Amino acid sequence: MTSAAPVALRSSAPRPTLGFLIVLPLLLSFAAPVAENAYAQEPVTGDAPEDIWSDDYINMIFPWAPAGDDILQFKQYHTYDTLKTRMMRLAEDNPDIFAFHEGMNGGTNARGEEVTANAYEGWYYGHSSPWMKITADVQDGDYNPFVGDTGNYPDRHDVMIVGNHHAREWMSYTVPMMQLEVIAFSYNNIGYDNDGDGQVDEDTWGDSNGDGQLDDDGDCLALSAEFQDSNGDGTACGPGDLGVDEDYSEQWITDLVNSREIYLIPMLNVDGNIYDRDVYMPGQCPGEEAWDCSAAGWRKNLRDNTVTGVTPLPDLDEEVDEGCDGVDLNRNYQFEWGAPLGATGPLVPGACYAGQNNDVYNGPVDTVDQDGDNRFNEDHVDGKDDDGDGLTDEDWLGGNSEPETKFIQDMTEMNDDTGDGSSEFKSTLTHHSFSELILWPWGHCTDCESPDHVQLRYHGQMMADMTQYANLQSSSLYPTSGDFCDWHYGVHGSYCYTSEIGTAFHQRPEDIDHIAVRNLGLGFYIAEIADNPRERADLEIANISQQNYLKEPTMIDIPEEGDIPVELCVSNQFPYSAKDTEVQWRQVKPSRMQSDFGPREWSTTPWESTGVEMIEGGCPLAAGNGTLLRAMLPVSETAVGQVHYKATVSTLGGADLYQYPADGDYYVLEVSYRAAFGSVFGAFFTFTLVATFVWGGLAVALRIMLGDDGEDDKVYEEDLRNTQVEVGNLSED
Amino acid sequence: MAESDQFNGRLGLIFASIGAAIGTGNIWRFPRMVGANGGGTFLIPWLIFLFAWSIPLVIAEYAMGKRSRTGTIGTFRIFAGRRFAWMGLWTAWISTAIGFYYAVVSGWTLKYFQLGITGALNGEKVDTTEVWNAFLQSSGQVIFFQFVVILLVLGTIWKGAKAIEKVNFYLMISLFVLLFLTLFLSLWMDLSDGSLDGALFMFTVDFDMLFEPEVWINGLSQSAWSCSAGMGMCITYAVYMRKDEDTVLNAFTMGLANNSISIIAGLAVLSAIFAVNPDPLATVTGGSSAITFLALPEVFAQAPGGTIGPLIMTAMFFLALSFAALTSMISTVELCVRNFVDHGYDRERSVLITGLAIFIFGIPSAVMWIKFDSAGVAFPEFLEVQDHIWGYGLMFSGLFIAFSIWKYGYIKWRAAVEEGTAAPGFAGYLGLGVSAFRDDFINTGDNDLEVGRWWDILIYIFFPILFFVLMASYFSDMIANTPNVWDPSNPKGLTIILLFWGVVAALFIGLNKKLIERPLYRNVPEGADADISELPGGEDELIGQVGDVIAGFEHLTASVEAELTD
Repeated sequence: MTSAAPVALRSSAPRPTLGFLIVLPLLLSFAAPVAENAYAQEPVTGDAPEDIWSDDYINMIFPWAPAGDDILQFKQYHTYDTLKTRMMRLAEDNPDIFAFHEGMNGGTNARGEEVTANAYEGWYYGHSSPWMKITADVQDGDYNPFVGDTGNYPDRHDVMIVGNHHAREWMSYTVPMMQLEVIAFSYNNIGYDNDGDGQVDEDTWGDSNGDGQLDDDGDCLALSAEFQDSNGDGTACGPGDLGVDEDYSEQWITDLVNSREIYLIPMLNVDGNIYDRDVYMPGQCPGEEAWDCSAAGWRKNLRDNTVTGVTPLPDLDEEVDEGCDGVDLNRNYQFEWGAPLGATGPLVPGACYAGQNNDVYNGPVDTVDQDGDNRFNEDHVDGKDDDGDGLTDEDWLGGNSEPETKFIQDMTEMNDDTGDGSSEFKSTLTHHSFSELILWPWGHCTDCESPDHVQLRYHGQMMADMTQYANLQSSSLYPTSGDFCDWHYGVHGSYCYTSEIGTAFHQRPEDIDHIAVRNLGLGFYIAEIADNPRERADLEIANISQQNYLKEPTMIDIPEEGDIPVELCVSNQFPYSAKDTEVQWRQVKPSRMQSDFGPREWSTTPWESTGVEMIEGGCPLAAGNGTLLRAMLPVSETAVGQVHYKATVSTLGGADLYQYPADGDYYVLEVSYRAAFGSVFGAFFTFTLVATFVWGGLAVALRIMLGDDGEDDKVYEEDLRNTQVEVGNLSED
Repeated sequence: MAESDQFNGRLGLIFASIGAAIGTGNIWRFPRMVGANGGGTFLIPWLIFLFAWSIPLVIAEYAMGKRSRTGTIGTFRIFAGRRFAWMGLWTAWISTAIGFYYAVVSGWTLKYFQLGITGALNGEKVDTTEVWNAFLQSSGQVIFFQFVVILLVLGTIWKGAKAIEKVNFYLMISLFVLLFLTLFLSLWMDLSDGSLDGALFMFTVDFDMLFEPEVWINGLSQSAWSCSAGMGMCITYAVYMRKDEDTVLNAFTMGLANNSISIIAGLAVLSAIFAVNPDPLATVTGGSSAITFLALPEVFAQAPGGTIGPLIMTAMFFLALSFAALTSMISTVELCVRNFVDHGYDRERSVLITGLAIFIFGIPSAVMWIKFDSAGVAFPEFLEVQDHIWGYGLMFSGLFIAFSIWKYGYIKWRAAVEEGTAAPGFAGYLGLGVSAFRDDFINTGDNDLEVGRWWDILIYIFFPILFFVLMASYFSDMIANTPNVWDPSNPKGLTIILLFWGVVAALFIGLNKKLIERPLYRNVPEGADADISELPGGEDELIGQVGDVIAGFEHLTASVEAELTD
């Protein structure tokens, strides 16, 4: 009996006297300062950064450019021009792995439309989105005449990384630019010591050694406390801090480049970005830097939405109507397009409210009868055959109206290395800013889950762990329709993630480098899982579920009073749903209706479920730390016998239920009586009552019996009546 | 023999009745019920049902037996009518069937007294489970002690009421003394660790638990079983009452005495267990025989006083338990014997036949199906199954008594209406019919206490409700907790109970014809005349008094008369 000792202690503990109780607060007040001192901080000890790393690393001087080059050192933002120039330069310097492109050649696209290269040029400034094809031997391999790229290999998994859908989100093109620099620098540069500490590849992204710390080699943790939060975000040795995830494996990056085709589109919305930088922000805050200006910035592209405007027309003379023009590119994808929910309205397609900048306008309604059946827009892109004609999504409502989204759509749909008719992008990533989130489908519906919910959540969590961002289904933030990821996942089944980088649209220059470093791993992770993200998630979830455990009876501390806490430890990587995770328990009590002569009989109560709540502090797992979940089982203090318990840990959405300790098994906890045995006063009262009743009654009865005095009868009757009244009072209490 | 079968004084009858009522249920079942049902909480329903169930029924039994002056069969033949004599047979059968295995159980207590007095239970290395398992598995020993019990009982009732009275008197007085001494030692033990945990627990009411139906059902069943109310014991002993016996006062005395002993025994057992057991509740909520034969010897072995203290305590307790069992056994056998004697068999032969039957039919319970539970403790499954089947059969005996009362009231009222002395309609029925039994047989003028309207309310309204609740809870509990409860081959299932009840009831109803063809000899000694002419079976020509010669059965009178020779 686990709690036998406390019960025995309590039952024999002396009762505090009243006087003691009065003095108790006073005594405690003396103890208070002592207790405080006991929790005083430990003295500062530990290394200084210069004890460990190279000066370059400490000052975040990256090895791919001279110290004074602010843009290439990520101390200042790229502009469209510097970005394009740099990409071309990198392609020139690394012709074996990089091929620079702008837009695509065009031709007949996957829907049979004739498209020319200028279809992908921005409405206003007329630039196509610059992009980099990254793979080993990029000049060889198959040639894709539509896309215009070589380096297509059927056995290499394609991955698409897109930045800057939204013009003002400057970190969203900065992070892919840093990824580009890192690939260029790391490819075949095996064993480079990134931080100058004499070790190589000792700390890659995430918690690779499973100790619950991102800082796998412990160098940041070895610093004295004052240096541990070098990026000043309030988290010691968090992502983006010096010494955290700082020395990734060049071999691993090289392998990725050799086995993947990475389509890196750092700045999709060139029109909008130029406008935001050169026109919009200076217009909002003349003479100020964008990050000093309170205006949010320009979000959309530069479609001319004015009724009189002639569209499409690259018209540099016409002023942008800031109250009306532009389409939110991340609402213009076709999947469930134009069905805005919640926060995204009002969005009547094509409508433009003069003076009202509709920042999430999703573009005009489609006017083409795509399938030539003289019915318009009868089968919207949603993966269903809306009109029941046997064809799916063949005559859409709208979306894909912009050069930029057409570019993404055609690049996706025309990239079929294997010739099986389907797109090759199994995983996709789009960078946005800001909010420090990792988002994944669905976005278009609330309280809904995609078929791959658990797996999407899993990879999301991996990326969220890397960045210490929050991991959310997109619509849990707010519903969106027609976004990049819903389309990629909904139409092409690609595991698509949206990162919401940083804390501002125009992040201050001094924050560029460490925020970029913090998010650097995302692009590599998405490239790594591009082979088969679903299977990777399934295997990992199954594997991680093995680590989770329910505490055994010997680890359970039965409190002297109240509910019994049963705890389980769930891996941080395990996509559990707190809502559906529960501890099931039942009691095995000695039956109240025992047979008098037979064996001891037990009655078993039905299984009950008690929800869990997260407890601060975590818990140890075989590999690293886990999340501690606790269920408080409302087992009565008077209960005697056993409590059987087991836990069901649900993955998100309850698609998979994991049973602990094992399927169909449970733990047996012996419980002993915990309540007080009784109170002196109550016992005395009841004893008096019962004794009066039974023994008093018996005495009176015997007296009447033995004596023949008739008057005794009345005494007896009175006694009886009185005692009955007492019983009545008792049961009313 | 000096005089006829009649108890000498009030105390004689009281002690016999108390002896019947006080059994192992008070000493080993009651403490467990208190433990399992929230300590003092349990005392409340237990006390309420003493007054709402047990005492009213005992009053009825006394009143019936005192008037019919026959055992159960005769009583039902007279009170419920010729067609219902089988009800008395049922009552007698249930009591006797319980007696089959109760003799075995009584043997256990005697064995444990022997073990106790020889110190075999108190050694340092004694494993009470081993002792128990070894005993239960040695059939010879179990049968031997069963046989000894039956011999003692037969010796007692051989001579009739006088001897029963005397033996009960001495056994009961000894029981009181032994239990008080045990209680004293237990309280001493409990107090020596600083607090009277056991007593506190036993008398503290947990008001949350007070609202649990199970506590009330258990309180009712404990009260009903422990008092032997409705078993026919009091009918049997009332046969020996004097005419002016105060049935009401006797009923109260018996019920209160029974509960007094329960309290003393409960306090003794709980105090001892709480004194030495680290998790006493786990022990006292377990099975009854486990407490008595496994836990208590262990607990008593830790009594103060070197080797003598534990020895005395163990021996005293089991001696008290044996006495309680013996007196109950006596009444069980007497109930059966009385029915034989009523039908013209001579006493000695009846006693022998009954004793032999109880011995033979008890042997399977003693030796068959000795199983081990999950904790490795032996238990006699055949015995348990017998208890399982016949234990609740008792409830019907109580129902039959109530039925007789209801029937008498109705007949009386119909007759009065025909005579024009009572109003027809429900109001008239309430006025005369409902109270008829009470008016005619309880408040006979011999009582110091008048029984009021409350008794009618209890018998007419509460009794059927409680009967139904008890049955329903028993069956629903069984259905919920017994695997394969409907499987007829499951000896612990419901089907087998219903089957046994059905077969026995059908058999007895079939036998009814034979029963009423037999003459019935009422035990009416000098001064005990009781008129039965107004009763449903009162006009039966085959009913006479002891000593009467009944036409067609002249050969029987001799043997009956022999018992009455003065």
